Amino acid sequence: MVRHSVLKYVRVRDYLRSLVTHELAVGDAIPSERLLCERFGVSRMTVRQAVDALVVDGLLEREQGRGTFVAPTKVDLEVRLASFGEDMRRRGMEPSSRVLVAEEIAASSDIADALELLPGELVFYLHRVRYADGVPMAIEQTWLPSRLAPGLFDSGAPDSIYGELRRRGLDPDWGEDTVSATEVDAQDAELLGIRTGRALLCLTRRTFAGDIACSYSRSSYRADRYELWVPLRAPARALTPRAPRDGQVEGTPASGNLNGHRHTETSPTATRTAQ
Amino acid sequence: MNQAANILAALGGVANIIDIEPCTTRLRSEVRDPGLVDVAALRAAGAHGVMISGRVVQVVVGLSVDTLATDLEELM
Repeated sequence: MVRHSVLKYVRVRDYLRSLVTHELAVGDAIPSERLLCERFGVSRMTVRQAVDALVVDGLLEREQGRGTFVAPTKVDLEVRLASFGEDMRRRGMEPSSRVLVAEEIAASSDIADALELLPGELVFYLHRVRYADGVPMAIEQTWLPSRLAPGLFDSGAPDSIYGELRRRGLDPDWGEDTVSATEVDAQDAELLGIRTGRALLCLTRRTFAGDIACSYSRSSYRADRYELWVPLRAPARALTPRAPRDGQVEGTPASGNLNGHRHTETSPTATRTAQ
Repeated sequence: MNQAANILAALGGVANIIDIEPCTTRLRSEVRDPGLVDVAALRAAGAHGVMISGRVVQVVVGLSVDTLATDLEELM
């Protein structure tokens, strides 16, 4: 059984969430703790927990001695194949970067695997803090095969890696993101101007131009400033083997294919060793 | 058609397939015996990654997934 107090807490939190997203404006104060206690018949502690949750989610901001206010809306980041800079400009925000590292290095095993190289092959490595309208938003590490973009860093770190790839006739047209959550460590917290332990959205991305692996990156976005949105569609129809199959031995029941005993198998690759 | 045939063979042949679901960048397949799946052969057939979890095998193929799905349907 879920404790009754837990359900009360959820009610207060969800009420505040709706209030913040649909009735109040950025910078507005939320109702006082006393008012919320009375309205929901809960303790001050329950109200504080609910407010805390929304502060952690980045919907509310506490200002010492002044109260709790609606935080600026988060940047909704579509999971799509665009660079940070392109994404920010599309939103009318001015992107900028602080380059921490820009060097050519030998690929470690994991980087080489992601870029379909052999370990030790040369890659360009770029480590940047990304800003939108001067506010730190994300930390990005990017690797790309040196042979795809010779001289990439000759005149300093480029503003846009995708732009540089396109200039060289490589237009990344597909990729994959893996999204996870973590807490920010002390070093990254300082770079992002947030407190240690706050939530981050981590995106690991591989991009390709056709069959060529172009880049691999690991980005950490501030969870208080970002939310991801992902367009959805129902999965395509699954393909299933036809039964009975062409070329099957005559007289074998079709079900012979479906129960795992492949007496009629003709393909050498599917031969199962005797058990 | 050749790539689809190679992928199918590397998945253990038609008889090893329960189903194959084409996703945006991957072929997600449920197989009868994951032991028959040849990861090196999948990579040689152009896969950009292979993830096996139990009887589910995901093959990263990129945007050719639609063409491959059409070809696979022919072969299955």
